[in-house]
Amino acid sequence: MSGVAIVDYGINNVRSVRNAVEYCGFEPVVTHDAGAIADASHVILPGVGAFGDAMTNIRARGIDELLERHVREKGKPFLAVCLGMQLLAKTSEEHADDGVLHSGLGWFDADVLRLMPNDPALKIPHMGWNMVAKERSHPILDHIREGNLAFYFVHSFAMRCNAPEDVVGHAQYGQQVTAIIARDNIVATQFHPEKSQDSGIELMSNFLRWNP
Amino acid sequence: MLKKRLIPKFLLRDGRLVKYVRFFENERAAGNPVTTAKVYNDYGVDELIVLDIVPSEASRHRVVEIIERMSEEIFMPFTVGGGVKTLDDVNALLRAGADKVSVNSEAVRRPEFLREAARTFGDQCMTVSIDYKKISPNHASVFIDGGREHVALDPIEWARRCEDLHCGEVLLGSIDRDGTMSGYDLEMIHRAANVLSVPLIVSGGCGSLQHAIDALEAGASAVAISSMFLFTDHSPIKLRSHLFSRGLEVRASSSSRN
Repeated sequence: MSGVAIVDYGINNVRSVRNAVEYCGFEPVVTHDAGAIADASHVILPGVGAFGDAMTNIRARGIDELLERHVREKGKPFLAVCLGMQLLAKTSEEHADDGVLHSGLGWFDADVLRLMPNDPALKIPHMGWNMVAKERSHPILDHIREGNLAFYFVHSFAMRCNAPEDVVGHAQYGQQVTAIIARDNIVATQFHPEKSQDSGIELMSNFLRWNP
Repeated sequence: MLKKRLIPKFLLRDGRLVKYVRFFENERAAGNPVTTAKVYNDYGVDELIVLDIVPSEASRHRVVEIIERMSEEIFMPFTVGGGVKTLDDVNALLRAGADKVSVNSEAVRRPEFLREAARTFGDQCMTVSIDYKKISPNHASVFIDGGREHVALDPIEWARRCEDLHCGEVLLGSIDRDGTMSGYDLEMIHRAANVLSVPLIVSGGCGSLQHAIDALEAGASAVAISSMFLFTDHSPIKLRSHLFSRGLEVRASSSSRN
């Protein structure tokens, strides 16, 4: 097995994820090819854009089935970022204008809801650096001191997990914001590790060396 | 809590870092943008703003190349702008590694462009940049085309309109204070922060550690700083430690992070 597959589902800027993987000393492959994903040692699902469009592209390219096979059945280490994390939920209300929720991959018993901070002075999107409070330890947080758990967030929707044991960390933004979730070989962050300087690079590096 | 952001602002002319006073006076060369960005990265700034101030077909390619090089070694958010007029322009900058694209003149000339760009790339990708100048003791007005063209828009009303057009963030800059290091326009910041629901980055006038505190306490989500970092001994590390010790919500300084 070689290379780190960065799943390409038609979104724009995967460059920084690719650069971060390279910077950590691994070989990134941006791909939606079944063979490349099968060969990869680790799989990353990046995410920028709208939930509905992303799911449409993922289904159209058969990526949902590839991930089901290689990540869920075969247990390949998997990291989903930002919208990528939200796609693991059962549903999302993003742009669900007609009241019909978008359905996600449904790997986690969770729903994606619009951020509703209880303080009207808090701006949406939740944009910038915020601290993550750990619920429990996880290998991707190894060697990162508690005081350094500041990561770069930019999002208007967030995941609400129904199973508390899935949550590794959360941030505070006028409400509890799910920041890291994990189960078995799967981990996901609402923030962008590839944009979070030293702590983010450390997290990515931990993930790339992780063999659950 | 969400941290207040410290953001060096880079002005590029033909791919070189430059700095003026009040947009046009005292041009000073300020070095190579990529190496300077690396230094700021080591200082642990929160984000970078890069604006091409004399955009042309040639400079656009150079900016794309600069952003590509920055994003290979620097892992923080970049906002990039200058002469952005089409969805293709936005796309090219995002592909190069920008996280947010700043639109200024074209948003005034064609407000629907902002809405279209936000719909295509997401609200959070679109920063609207607003430059304004006092035109009488009690009135400020928006200027576009790098401060050359006056348009009859009140900066705060225009910022609110941009919010309705789905911009994700507002970068509000005082032309009168640009490069003067005489302090931010606190009254304007206070008014803008009170009415806007998107994050507000303020620009123009920072010359001391206290100026940054004043702007953040007036309600800014982030301070953009150019001259002070380039031409004084107030480094981002020094500013961050100072803000931190004064109890402002900023990330811990890189020295305490390492």
